[in-house]
Amino acid sequence: MPDTTMESESKPLVDITIHGIQMSVPKGSTILEAAERIGVVIPRYCYHPGLSAPAVCRMCLVDVEGAPKPAPSCVQVVQDGMVVRTDNALARKARRAAIEFLLINHPLDCPICDAAGQCQLQDYAFETGQLRTRNVEPKQVLGRDHVTSDIVYFADRCVLCTRCVRFMDEIAEEPVLQVINRGHRGFIDTMTGDLFEHPFSMNIVDVCPVGALVNEDFLFKARSWDLDQTASVCPGCSQGCNVLLGTKEDTIQRAKPRPNPEVNSFWMCDHGRASVVNWGAGERIEVPLVKDDDRLVPVDWGKALTALADALQGKPGRAKAVVSAGASNESMYVLRKLMDRLGNQGGQFRVETGPEQVLSGFPKLALRKDRAPNARGAGILGFQRSGDPLAMAAKHKGTLFVLEDALDGAAADFGRNAALFVYIGSMMNPAARNAHIVIPSPTFAEMDGTFTNFEGRVQRFAQALRVPGMARPLWMTGSAVLARLGDGEAFRTADAAFAALAQEVAEYAGLSYESIGLQGRSVVAAGSSATKVR
Amino acid sequence: MSDAMHPAIVSAQPSQRADSDPDAPLFEGEYKDRFEKMLTRYPEKRAALLPTLNLAQEVRGWLAPEAMARVAELLDLTPAYVRSVASFYTMFATRPTGKYLIQVCAGIGCDLCGAEDVTERLLELTKTRLGETSEDGKYTVVEVECLGGCGFATIVQVNDQVYENVKAEDVEGLLKELD
Amino acid sequence: MAYPYEHRRGTRVLSKYFGDWDAVRIDGWIARGGYKTLKKALKMSQDDIIQVVKDSGLRGRGGAGFPAGLKWSFMPKDGGGTNYLACNADESEPGTFKDREIMRWTPHQLIEGIIITSYAIRAQHAYIYIRGEFVDVVRALNGAVVEAYERGYLGKNILGSGYDLELTVHLGAGAYIAGEETGLLNSLEGRRAEPRLKPPFPAQRGAFGMPTTVNNVETLASVPHIVENGADWYRQWGTEKSPGTKLFSCCGHLKRPGNYEVALDFNLKELVFDLCGGPPDGREMLAIIPGGSSVPIMTVDEIDCDVSYEGIEAAGSFLGSGGLIAMDNSTCMVHAVRKMVDFYAHESCGQCTNCREGTAWLARILRRIERGQGREEDIPLLLDIGANMAGKTICPLSDSAAVPVVSSIQKFEHEYMAHIRDGSCTAVR
Repeated sequence: MPDTTMESESKPLVDITIHGIQMSVPKGSTILEAAERIGVVIPRYCYHPGLSAPAVCRMCLVDVEGAPKPAPSCVQVVQDGMVVRTDNALARKARRAAIEFLLINHPLDCPICDAAGQCQLQDYAFETGQLRTRNVEPKQVLGRDHVTSDIVYFADRCVLCTRCVRFMDEIAEEPVLQVINRGHRGFIDTMTGDLFEHPFSMNIVDVCPVGALVNEDFLFKARSWDLDQTASVCPGCSQGCNVLLGTKEDTIQRAKPRPNPEVNSFWMCDHGRASVVNWGAGERIEVPLVKDDDRLVPVDWGKALTALADALQGKPGRAKAVVSAGASNESMYVLRKLMDRLGNQGGQFRVETGPEQVLSGFPKLALRKDRAPNARGAGILGFQRSGDPLAMAAKHKGTLFVLEDALDGAAADFGRNAALFVYIGSMMNPAARNAHIVIPSPTFAEMDGTFTNFEGRVQRFAQALRVPGMARPLWMTGSAVLARLGDGEAFRTADAAFAALAQEVAEYAGLSYESIGLQGRSVVAAGSSATKVR
Repeated sequence: MSDAMHPAIVSAQPSQRADSDPDAPLFEGEYKDRFEKMLTRYPEKRAALLPTLNLAQEVRGWLAPEAMARVAELLDLTPAYVRSVASFYTMFATRPTGKYLIQVCAGIGCDLCGAEDVTERLLELTKTRLGETSEDGKYTVVEVECLGGCGFATIVQVNDQVYENVKAEDVEGLLKELD
Repeated sequence: MAYPYEHRRGTRVLSKYFGDWDAVRIDGWIARGGYKTLKKALKMSQDDIIQVVKDSGLRGRGGAGFPAGLKWSFMPKDGGGTNYLACNADESEPGTFKDREIMRWTPHQLIEGIIITSYAIRAQHAYIYIRGEFVDVVRALNGAVVEAYERGYLGKNILGSGYDLELTVHLGAGAYIAGEETGLLNSLEGRRAEPRLKPPFPAQRGAFGMPTTVNNVETLASVPHIVENGADWYRQWGTEKSPGTKLFSCCGHLKRPGNYEVALDFNLKELVFDLCGGPPDGREMLAIIPGGSSVPIMTVDEIDCDVSYEGIEAAGSFLGSGGLIAMDNSTCMVHAVRKMVDFYAHESCGQCTNCREGTAWLARILRRIERGQGREEDIPLLLDIGANMAGKTICPLSDSAAVPVVSSIQKFEHEYMAHIRDGSCTAVR
């Protein structure tokens, strides 16, 4: 018998039996929540952990011993001594009934439905094993319509679970999506003829358990089973929403929120979703480039690292940098170490901003003003925020580092004043041609790393895409150069790079990839904006 | 309909009238007064939604999207919410109807006593099809679920006037009475 | 003028003044002893009033039959917040038209009951949620409410007792499900009349989140009589479990359809054949639905029972709302059941899957059978759909829709088979 007692809970416990397994669960839990503790996932449509439970889909009915009729497990609170059967004949018949009813008017258009493969109607119909319908009546046809400019509602696929309605009502706090009509003529809509707009509208697509609400931008792009899923962090703003990146053919097709009660609950904004699609596409730098007679020549990593090591030893002058607020903590840490060798004259970064959009029903989450994921990390690592860092850097005569997209928008002659100009980035642009050494680096989606969000929560992202060509993260290449110069070890993993960072930067002390885990951790003194540089 | 209508009953005024005007101003004069009295009878503004929609329908004859949007504004609700509630209740007309909205009870009590014959006769004499408005805009005949007068079958309601014990042969006279 | 449905064997308590135009207005009502009990009640303690109603055994007349006094006793007594009374005047169970008559002929009987009940449950505001379709009834009721205010039976310091009560008439807008008590509360609050999950029960969290009692018109109209004359007086009629008198709305194939008030131990068969006069000449009675379309159909052989809650239950159906529907041998049972199921499909609020989809599916199958395109396997299918709809939803509408289908198949399967096998109908026209 597995020990399922949750001793850490301070609430009083009640003893119940679910699925033949005795367990103690906190008083006030629902049967559905209690069952999840032992890995029994009771099928459901209307229940969503981030929303109120109306208990209308009748899919989660279970048999409670002694009760006159099956109970909706999503709202039925456990009682001491309760014996619940989730899979006996009664519970199974109730589930089969709900599925059969939901399929009466369902068009069964799975082959052209965006939700196929991630559809709870499909999953449960398969599970209950109903291969033939008993229905011989003509199906009711309601049609489809846009509800926002990007979201299409397929009324005939809808199971009227009202998750989307409740999201807009309870979480967005703008009840602009409603059930119209009643009974079997019911459907979901806005005010007649209106499309609604909301910065978090796409969450209604996520909460839809079937294919009734679909994102038109994603429509027909990929089948869900063709997507690889990678745990990541949204780079769209400084909130750091936990996400799952859905990738296919080495391209990011979509981002979906990954639940984290401390950061984004079950939600994320539309801006973040849009920004991450096709991230990193374009003219990529795939090999290291070293200047030879005014021309950038492709070289192998051996030559490139030698060239950089040599350049650093050639006393090129003290270092300044322009970094990206979208670079990882690990890369910025290694860059700082490179700069320290030459005399660090400080680095700056610019953050693109936009209006803040708070999610009213979960105000911890907002599309933040800072539209970059790691401004806070850059600050902690000693870089200064600036309105126009390129202007300062353009005049610098010593060594100049530019990290990642910080070079975007630089003038064509940018960097010509520097004795040594090293550009570490993914994309070629006119100013990059002035660099003495170009270190090709992956985007955040192509490597492991961490960002520190606006409130000082450090969160990991994992590699979702193949690295183009020979690009390598700066924490790897930079640390290899430093190791050659006798300064520390060459990091083979992002984990090792972060461990070194945590050793050195007080705010991150004690943290490791393991302790950060999938949900992130707050850095020491996160509440203060002061940054210590040792 | 006087200005002196007691606040206790302002929320209970039958709304389907032959003299409604689809372009009449909403919530003005007497209607503004009635609306304000309504609000005093409930602890929440939202509760006045059904009676407010009733007022709008009394004035305009049906609830166009603009009318619903106006109601939403008055009660601090979203237009979609108002549409959702209005569409739940069958007495709110979300499409225009004829001058005379003729409702025939199709409940079991009337059905047993020949309601279908009454409906047929009505459609024949008004030259309409069920639910559609006659060309001259005068009649809309609809079947409605039980009107709650099963012992006095068949029940026919024309706007806010109820007729009991209607037989197919009474229909002609009933329609004449309207003009 | 006499009420056309008066019968020497009836017991006229609630319906005593039905047909009496002078009883409608307040002076006439007072002349007939009206509001006398209110004066008495306001001098009694609230608990004493609740006790006498408990002792009388008065059961809710809306259909469920829950003891009224017990329901009242769930209301909080501390007076911390606002308590509400909601009078359920949304009478819409097919076959039921008794509340309509109470309000049309004796609106003050209801208002007096509301004031006494509100006082007993410590309510500060009472709402009468009345069916929007009752256009003529609502005019009579409105007039009476204004009269009651003018005479000081409503408003501040009623009859110098220090008790304040506001009464508001609130018009429904066409939704059967608003007659379900939590559907009614949602509708009163300006929402879709979708029934709520229970718990919390209305006495804990009702209208506007406050403790609320929801009572049917007939229940409330019975209260003044009980408070005036006592529990024993009320118990002179009916049975131990079903005391008192009740209005039966009788419709369908009857010589004298209408509202009859009888003691609750009256014989159902006599109600049909004696009071209502049985079927029209030349016809034979086929079936009776005793309590509105939501209760099982009885064959004419099953109706020799008394009309008490337990009497009808023992005979295989329920008293329900007392809406009696009589069907003679000219009835096509498949058609009649289809009409009833159409009603539920039309009125399902659509929240719960089983009800939303099941009601419409049943209706489509029945329509096909009625057209002569039925299949023998439709019979077990209908029964299984009925089983999948019963006991699976938030409110009992789903169960109600399955009832006529299941009970008619149990008792009149041959009528279905005639449609299915021969494309014919057993109805005698």
